[in-house]
Order: sequence, then C-alpha cells, then structure tokens
Amino acid sequence: MNKTMTAASLALALGAALTVAAAPAAAADGKMSMEKEHCYGVALKGKNDCKAGAGTTCAGTSKTDYQSNAFVAVPKGTCEKTVSKTSPTGYGQLKEFKPKMAG
Amino acid sequence: MRGMRVSDQRIFADALLTGRPSCPPGLTAWNGSDPERRFAIYRSNVIVSLIDALADTFPVTQQLVGEEFFRAMARLFVQEHPPRSRILAFYGEGLANFIEAFAPAAAVPYLADVARLEMLRVSAYHAADAMPLTAEAISRLLADVAVLPEARIGLHPSLAVLRSGHAVVSLWAAHQAADAAQALAAVDPEAAETALVLRAGLDVEISRIPDGAAAFIEQMRQGAAFGDAAEQASAADPAFDLAATLGLLMRGGAITTMTIPRSATS
Repeated sequence: MNKTMTAASLALALGAALTVAAAPAAAADGKMSMEKEHCYGVALKGKNDCKAGAGTTCAGTSKTDYQSNAFVAVPKGTCEKTVSKTSPTGYGQLKEFKPKMAG
Repeated sequence: MRGMRVSDQRIFADALLTGRPSCPPGLTAWNGSDPERRFAIYRSNVIVSLIDALADTFPVTQQLVGEEFFRAMARLFVQEHPPRSRILAFYGEGLANFIEAFAPAAAVPYLADVARLEMLRVSAYHAADAMPLTAEAISRLLADVAVLPEARIGLHPSLAVLRSGHAVVSLWAAHQAADAAQALAAVDPEAAETALVLRAGLDVEISRIPDGAAAFIEQMRQGAAFGDAAEQASAADPAFDLAATLGLLMRGGAITTMTIPRSATS
C-alpha cells in the first residue's frame, strides 16, 4: 500500500499545528473581547440565558422583565452599557442587585 | 398510589398521556369534586410542561416552524415518546427522528438536522470535563517520530460531529444573530454542512468543519491509529489538511490524550 502519510509528514503537521494553536495566546487581547460576562438585570422575562437544557432550574425562569437576580450572557464590556429599568444605576450590573422601587 | 400494580400503572400512564381512558378507575377527589375533571387538569399540566421542556431545548427548531406548529408537533411527540428518565435536560433525544417521519414537517427538510444539532449542544454542555493535553506533552511525542503513526489520540468528551445534507450550522448561527431574518436570507439551506460541537470552558461552540476533518475525527473516535486516521481522511477528502485540523482541535482544547501503544515502542 502506498502510504501518503509518512511518519515525517505526520510530525510536520503536528509541529505546524502546535504553532497554529499557540498563536491565539499571543493575540490575547482579541480573545478577551470574546469572553462573556454574566450580566444581571438586563434579561427580558423568560429570556435569561441557560444552555443546560430543559428541566434545569435556570432556563427561562425569570418571571419579570429586567429581573435583578436573573442574568444573560452578553459580550464582555457591554453589560454596564445595557439599560435596565430596575437597576439603581439605570444599567445592567455584574452582580445581583436590589431593585429600586417602581415609580 | 403505594403498591400500585404494573397493569394499573399502565392504565394510569395511558390516561395521562392519551386521555384513553379519560380517568383511571378508582380515582377519587379529596373534596368530592369530579375526578375526571381534576385528572384532566393534571394531564394538561403534565403535557404542557413536557412541551415547554422541548421548547427550552430546541429554540431554533421552534423558530424555524413557529411556536404554533412546534407545540402541536411536540404534543404528538410527548404522547408517543414520554420521558424515560427523570432528567428532563436530555428529554427530546428522539425528537429529530420523530421530525424526520412527521409528514407535516416535510416542507422543512432541514428541521430534523437542526434539532439534532440542538440536542448535541445540550449533551456537550453536560459532558464530562477533561483537561486538554499541553503543548509540552504533545511536543514530547515528536521526540520519537518513528512511532508517531501508531499514536492514539483521545478527544474531549463534549466533542461531536454532525454531517448534514443541509446548511445546519449556518441556519443555526443565523438564529443567534441580532437580526435573524436578515441573516437567514443569506443562507442557502440546501448547501451540505458538517458541524463540530465542542465545549470550551462553559460555552458550547458550534463551527463548520470540512469533510476531511470530520472523517479524521470519526476515525480517531473509533480508536484508529494517528497515521491510519490521517490516511483515511485524505482518501475521503483530497483537500484534507492535517495540520489545520490538528490546529483546530488543539485550539479548542479537544485533544486530551496522545499515547503510543506499548507494542509500538522499541
């Protein structure tokens, strides 16, 4: 059988892959902006995030809009720029907060 | 209900899911109200909660056909395939096959594969953790190149591949966009795509991979040696790029073990 994949070509590919895989570490700034943060107080009713599937306690359980103890994953850095009607600061917060009184 | 006979349980389950009989025999209400009406409320709650569970797991499937169609279809699925486990997170594993055989959904030929992809996402989320192999450990294998073709590569438990005759990844991704309608307009549903599902940290990521990469992953999953897996992938897809595929897997932390069988070492 004509082996197109010699041991040397496997080693070459593995070595090249190591270089490719190491590259994003150097570009850490770009990677960081892709990270998510948990943002409280900005999810609309029933729209809070959960990827755990049905029957888990967190998926879509928030009962009111802008519920202060429900979070949604948002692109990092955008949370505190997202409007929240219940938040004392007027924007989403990175921790649970006490909602301000309505009216 | 203590000491209920198996035959009675059968009747109870049938009454609960199908409404035949409309009320299990011997049921009484504590306040003397009509047990048939009380049981109908219970039945409605059970079925609706299971339909809700499916809607939680298959949001894009639901968006593709609309809530009304999805819930009607889910109701039939619930009646035919009640949960076998108390873990609702995995309920719906049979939904994709059900959709495939469900005539009213035939107009949406990619629906079943989108449902498959959504189920794989949930499975990946709950898959076991595994530490990726460090670059140092992989580099060490390069010390003895002669035995490299015999290496066995272990992949992350969350990793899954889905081959579809439809644009399953693009369809799914379009529904994650802020303007789904606009993103969908750019998708050709008939373009075949292969999805890679992989969890990085707590995030399940879905990406498109070429056929050769899928063949390589499937070979390694079946325990093929590194050299043979690469051969097979090249045969399956002449454009197979081994370095790019390994790079993709390493970047995603998908390579968790790389071992040389004892018989291959000199």
